[in-house]
Amino acid sequence: MTDESPLPNVSAALAKRKTLRILAMGAAPGHVGGHESAYTDLIESMLEQALKGVDIIIINRGVSGELATSAAARMKNEVALNRPDLVLWQVGTNDALAYMPSVEFTATINDQIDWLKAHNIDVVLVGLQFAKEMLRDEHYAKIRDALRVLAAQKNVIVIRFYEAMQIVDQASPGGTQSVPQAFEQNEAGYNCLAQYVARAITLSVFGKNMPRRP
Amino acid sequence: MTRQPNAVDFWRGFALITIFIDHIPGLSYDKYTLTNFSVSDAADLFVFLAGWSLRLMADGGGRRMPTRDVVLRLFGRALELYAAQVLITMLAIAMLAITATELQNPLLLQWHNAAAVFDDPVPTHVGLALLTHQLGYFDILPLYVVLMLMAPFFAVIDRLAPNLVLPASAALYITALVFQLTLPTWPVSGTWFFNPLAWQFTFVLGFVLARIDDGPGAWVRRHIVRVRMLALPILIYFTLAVLFGWFWDPTDVPSPQLFFLLDKGWATPPRLIQFLALVAVFSIAFPYIRRFGEQRYTRFVVMPLIRMLAMLGRNSLYVFCIGSLLSLAGQVLRFYYRGSVGTDSVVVVSGIIIMAFTAWLAESRQRTRPAPPAPSAQRS
Repeated sequence: MTDESPLPNVSAALAKRKTLRILAMGAAPGHVGGHESAYTDLIESMLEQALKGVDIIIINRGVSGELATSAAARMKNEVALNRPDLVLWQVGTNDALAYMPSVEFTATINDQIDWLKAHNIDVVLVGLQFAKEMLRDEHYAKIRDALRVLAAQKNVIVIRFYEAMQIVDQASPGGTQSVPQAFEQNEAGYNCLAQYVARAITLSVFGKNMPRRP
Repeated sequence: MTRQPNAVDFWRGFALITIFIDHIPGLSYDKYTLTNFSVSDAADLFVFLAGWSLRLMADGGGRRMPTRDVVLRLFGRALELYAAQVLITMLAIAMLAITATELQNPLLLQWHNAAAVFDDPVPTHVGLALLTHQLGYFDILPLYVVLMLMAPFFAVIDRLAPNLVLPASAALYITALVFQLTLPTWPVSGTWFFNPLAWQFTFVLGFVLARIDDGPGAWVRRHIVRVRMLALPILIYFTLAVLFGWFWDPTDVPSPQLFFLLDKGWATPPRLIQFLALVAVFSIAFPYIRRFGEQRYTRFVVMPLIRMLAMLGRNSLYVFCIGSLLSLAGQVLRFYYRGSVGTDSVVVVSGIIIMAFTAWLAESRQRTRPAPPAPSAQRS
């Protein structure tokens, strides 16, 4: 599901001091299902379990419904204010739903990744959310694939949220009937997402000598 | 009796249309709005003009409203704005729910921070009532409610010690930026998008600069030519900077960083300076616009436009409310029709027509209100 590439700045930060600062952008801070904690809180606790002795600080500055261009501009300010080692950026869903041209979208993400790398900040992207209705939407697929291709080119981890949830959806008996049910499933997907993110980060830190998955 | 078109109403109407267009993400017409040429936007204009209008209400036309009346009107206005916020938020939530159900797409329920409403309704409804949970694009009225609650204090200070109003406001603004103080959201953890502690400064600037006879407003008016000469290069720099991306790197600024960043939520100084420059330069414009509208060859097109914008500005609360809902409807339509330029044009034109109709309806309702019976008729 994920391309396991190293996160150089995260590793360096962990070697130098025992804290990891993560700036989360793109999803509004929210609860997972009926649970009290937001998905970023889940990531925080999972990472603290995996990376013993490390203080994980996740700063969630997501604004719901934001397009990539506004998020990118805001991110620069938030980076200046919060000095993260890693940016966790959930991006694409809003741009796809707003039918932003994929060329513009890709350019924005590309520039932002370059900016982050120039400032010694790693980035983990989280791709588009899954919805059964969007299976037939070509533009949605286009944005999703553009993000994946760009991430591969820039050697950046992208969590393929869409594909993960698609498998879960196919596995659920009878498929989802109503929108409220599908919505709940989407929320449950965040739990799953938190695990993927935590795993990707942990493996990148410990798995430097592990072979890349084909 | 409705006012003649004036600069404040005209620019407020302009701001309302700009906000309507800017609140539809991805709309092709949003390439032409103020945000593309300016680091400040219609929100700054709106809040500034709200402060300006407070001055006109309290001290305008040579008469001075008793302080007690000013305070009561402000609290009354706060209540009105609160009611409007609750109304449009409820309607927005319903619109999202209907659309998600009809289009069988649960992703829409997450638009604009609405996920918590559907996902965790018990505390979120409390948050909606307390204004601590705000939907995206529906977060400016909560700012206004807080400003209306803060305004009586500034109005009272203005009556007792007018020279202290701006310093008091500036002190609060600076403290908020230095210590990064803002209001929290709840139950979802976060902060208000518009920080009232910072934005009150824009409001008070409008309030103070609107004063003609004394204070900074009078000083600016006396030296307006020199002020404009200073403002013009600032404005040109920022316009070019927005167009060509000539901005400094946010990570290079000294502490306290918020003073040197361009941040809308904190109404940061670079934004504010550019905004004041914009006001200084464009304050010259309205009389020329009106004169242009009165020319024989433009009278049938430009003057009605001027009148329409002024009408929108006179009824700003109704127009803002309907505009916010129309933006959301526009966003849904764009999604349904896959964002074509045709859809965008229809959305913008019909949106403006509906906003104008709403303003007209509000005014005709006022006009046709029956007059109270004459005192002699009551004595029987």
